[in-house]
Amino acid sequence: MRNLQFWLVYLILLVAQTIICAAFNFSQLVSFWFLPMMILCTPIRFNTNSLLVLAFVSGVLVDLLSQGVLGLTSAALLPVALCRNLVVRLVFGSEVFSRGEDISLRRQGLLKMSIAVALVTALFLILFIAADGAGTRPFWFNAVRFLLSLVVDTFFSLLLVGIINPGEGQKWR
Amino acid sequence: MAKGQGKYKGLICAAIFIVLEIAALSMLSRTSSLQSHWLKRIAYRPLSVLWRGAESVRSYFSLKGQNERLAEENFALNEKLRAAAVAAQAPQSGLNARMNYIPATIVKMSRDSQHNYIILDKGSDDGVLPLSGIISDKGVVGIVDVVDRNYSYGLTLMNDAVQVSSRIGRDGIVAPLVWDGIHSDRAVVNCVPLHYEAAPSDTVYTSGFSSVFPSDIPLGTVVGTSVSHGAIGQVKVRLFQDFSTLRFVTIVSSGDRQVIEELSAHGEGAKK
Repeated sequence: MRNLQFWLVYLILLVAQTIICAAFNFSQLVSFWFLPMMILCTPIRFNTNSLLVLAFVSGVLVDLLSQGVLGLTSAALLPVALCRNLVVRLVFGSEVFSRGEDISLRRQGLLKMSIAVALVTALFLILFIAADGAGTRPFWFNAVRFLLSLVVDTFFSLLLVGIINPGEGQKWR
Repeated sequence: MAKGQGKYKGLICAAIFIVLEIAALSMLSRTSSLQSHWLKRIAYRPLSVLWRGAESVRSYFSLKGQNERLAEENFALNEKLRAAAVAAQAPQSGLNARMNYIPATIVKMSRDSQHNYIILDKGSDDGVLPLSGIISDKGVVGIVDVVDRNYSYGLTLMNDAVQVSSRIGRDGIVAPLVWDGIHSDRAVVNCVPLHYEAAPSDTVYTSGFSSVFPSDIPLGTVVGTSVSHGAIGQVKVRLFQDFSTLRFVTIVSSGDRQVIEELSAHGEGAKK
């Protein structure tokens, strides 16, 4: 049941991300992304191989449906999926894996969650902005875009963490 | 066991990541020309380093072949040059036209004694005769002494038993040139009359007064003069050929040598 709820919310957020990419271009300096957070919050029992496939498919769907540059989001999201377990181990500790608990704001706390979300978002943005600019934009522009996007995306991602994984029920399994 | 499984899983994970990333990048490359150029630029940078490295290694290992090709080309060019020189001098002399040239590679060469020798990879099967001259594009190297079927043994100019008939300048005096016994690129012209003044930087050539070497092969330049035993003048020569860097040579023999020697012997006999 919890799985079904997660995937339903994941799908809704994926559609929301697609609509934002297709219709809402706030500014050239801000890219609005919460896909990295969605990959981070995927259930821990999901192994890296499945996570890589999920990231690839999600990226392709977003690019395809938002009529973006096909492959751009996937290329930037795959390293996030690859590093997800490393980030979780680094920020939340290895116990998360041994307990098999899911990532949620309630369980891990705001500070740790902020760090983890910021890390995966930063990784995604570095690759995305570099590939999107394709060496045609000056460094300062990319740097400003990265910093502004990181702040905005981390903030909104933290708001959405509660939706994708509310962390209800028992704290320890 | 578990460690091995973990490594195996890690490899599969890396393989899946690489495959998916390549798929994503190839989609990116096909969709947008801007990103395509960017990706190619990134990909070609390490590739160019690899290609450059591979090219350096390939060039290094093909140096021997290139050297041999250059030596053959050099020999062919020298042949043409000699033919042209002979054609230009045809009214005065017909000797060089009857010279035979055989390219050869040095198999072994000594440089550290007073009686240095050279072994070449051409022998009687290739038409080499004893007492043929050994020259390079920079001057005289030595004289063939003994000939085997496939190899020749010769004495180099860095041997005190070898002397070459030389001429100082185009129209200067003729005197024997021998190695100075010390340097690999120095020689002296002996028996120069004291009244003769050789100008520094004058070129010393082979005289052609022997049946071993053709005339007018540049040997070196005059660097100074001295007097030996108070009565004999000596001219010091810096050779064009540095024996420490020698590898390819040409064996030269006169087609008329037998006739010349017979005439010489007949003349000596008549005197007696």
